[in-house]
Amino acid sequence: MAEKKVTLKLENVSKSFAKVENDEVTHALNAIDMELKSGEFISLVGPSGCGKSTILRLVAGLITPTTGKITVDGKEILEPSPERGMVFQKPTLFPWLTVEKNIAFSLKMQGKLKGNEEKVERMLKVIGLESFREDYPGQLSGGMAQRVALVRSLINEPDILLLDEPLGALDAFTRMNMQDEILKIWQERGQLAIMVTHDVDEAIYMGTRVIVMDANPGRVVADIKIDEEYPRDRSSAAFVEYRNEILNRLHFGGNK
Amino acid sequence: MGSNKKKGSKNGIDKSQLDKLTRQQLKELEEKEKTRGQIILDWVIMILPVVCGIVAIGEYLWVPDNSPNKNPNTYLGMLVIFIAAFLIYFIVALVKKLRGDKTVLDMLRYRAPLFSALFLLLAGYDYLTLKTGILTQPFVPCMNYIINIAWTDRAYLIECTLHTLRLLFLGYFIGVALGLVTGITCGYSEKVRYWVNPVIKFLGPIPTSTWIPIVMVVATSLFKGAVFIIALGSWFAVTVASMTGISNVDKDFFEAARTLGASSRQLVFRVAIPHAMPSILQGCTQAMSSACVAIMIAEMMGVKAGLGWYMNWAKSWAAYDKMFAALFVICFIFTIVTKALDLVKRRVLRWQNGVVK
Repeated sequence: MAEKKVTLKLENVSKSFAKVENDEVTHALNAIDMELKSGEFISLVGPSGCGKSTILRLVAGLITPTTGKITVDGKEILEPSPERGMVFQKPTLFPWLTVEKNIAFSLKMQGKLKGNEEKVERMLKVIGLESFREDYPGQLSGGMAQRVALVRSLINEPDILLLDEPLGALDAFTRMNMQDEILKIWQERGQLAIMVTHDVDEAIYMGTRVIVMDANPGRVVADIKIDEEYPRDRSSAAFVEYRNEILNRLHFGGNK
Repeated sequence: MGSNKKKGSKNGIDKSQLDKLTRQQLKELEEKEKTRGQIILDWVIMILPVVCGIVAIGEYLWVPDNSPNKNPNTYLGMLVIFIAAFLIYFIVALVKKLRGDKTVLDMLRYRAPLFSALFLLLAGYDYLTLKTGILTQPFVPCMNYIINIAWTDRAYLIECTLHTLRLLFLGYFIGVALGLVTGITCGYSEKVRYWVNPVIKFLGPIPTSTWIPIVMVVATSLFKGAVFIIALGSWFAVTVASMTGISNVDKDFFEAARTLGASSRQLVFRVAIPHAMPSILQGCTQAMSSACVAIMIAEMMGVKAGLGWYMNWAKSWAAYDKMFAALFVICFIFTIVTKALDLVKRRVLRWQNGVVK
């Protein structure tokens, strides 16, 4: 269980971007209200351009909202922090550092590496890449690289884990394996996890809540609680029902 | 799978040993087996430098000279030393192979044709100069002259060499250091780029040699002036390369580093600079070649010491053998400097090796 229970609140959050080519402005998010708590696994699904990645980047503190407020336990998010770990679609491992040093990067940046070497060791063990510690990221497969990227942000024991389509670029088998690995990590510490995905099955398989979004402007169209025990059965009746409901919300259902 | 198993048993490697396979063993396992002909050819090629060396000696000893040749044994001695050096290399490689390390011998096999060509080249040059005079003596002196004069005049040559090296490194390192500072700040900060970019655009296209007359008038000493010219060329190369390197850093790396708690200082030193390292080192190599050009021009046109000056001075005294001796020393120095830079580059950029599979 996480040492700290946190509540993440988005209050009336909008985000607009200036277009590069002309003077117009795109409204990526429009008046979003959300309340998310530790122990939840939130899946964000929706068509591209619905602003699901924007939400993650806002929560990470990489960008600031145009209007509205994002708070963790009442404190406004102003800049990125290791307490909100983020995993990107690309592993973005630093190619000039070995696997081990990539994992230790965050501790080193914060001057906390001394005395915490066993944390790096534990992370290597979690992903089973102990024998690759001296390798450079260029020598890893996509799945291995993404595992390293995952524990690279987990080493800070973040209260909030942001996953921006982390499995999007992986093959189907690696993907299913990693879904279980991520769930296991999340279940052990019970932090708040927010994952963006294009894959409705993945969203239902992993999430305690699936938030369905739509574009133009980016907004929440449904917030569906998934009441199923882990590990979930992808072919169960309940699963299929959830899938149909979400696909309907996304206008892909059979009964339009 | 069947063929793998066969090869495995051939080399006495079973399943348990496969886990601890070294790169060399893997290469041997996957290599095609050589035919008898290929093996014999390999050995012939490895012996070839010795044969060519003996040919060179024979050519020197038995073809009659066309012009007088003082101290004829110097060149002979050099040839013998070269052959002996190769033989020692060969023996070391053979011993290593017997102990199970094939890499040295493979390297020797790879280099042997070049060594052979070098001996033949020496023999050919000797034939064209000393033996037939097709290349007229003493304007294009034979190797024996050059070595003799280099040895007689060694004190002065060494002094000139040291002077050149001092000038080269002083100018180069000042230029590289300043270039790194401006290049990195320019790559990172829009404001600095606004002011430095016009300077680069304006000064960049001017060839280094253009500065020499101006520097000779303005500078308080020619040495300082030459340092300035060399530094300027290096500064330019390093600035441009590191600026491009830094401004090409993938934005994703910065974002990842920021979510991992890196401060803006760390973003520069821990992310931007390492990422731009290949480009920066490329700039340093370029700076070295521009520095080498600049130093020769500076020494030939103004500075009253160094190898460039020595060459010019030898020419005015019609001491062509000295001129050639200096040329060889210059070649030698620049080769070593470039090689050293290359080693540094390979060491620093080790992480790039695995990237291209």
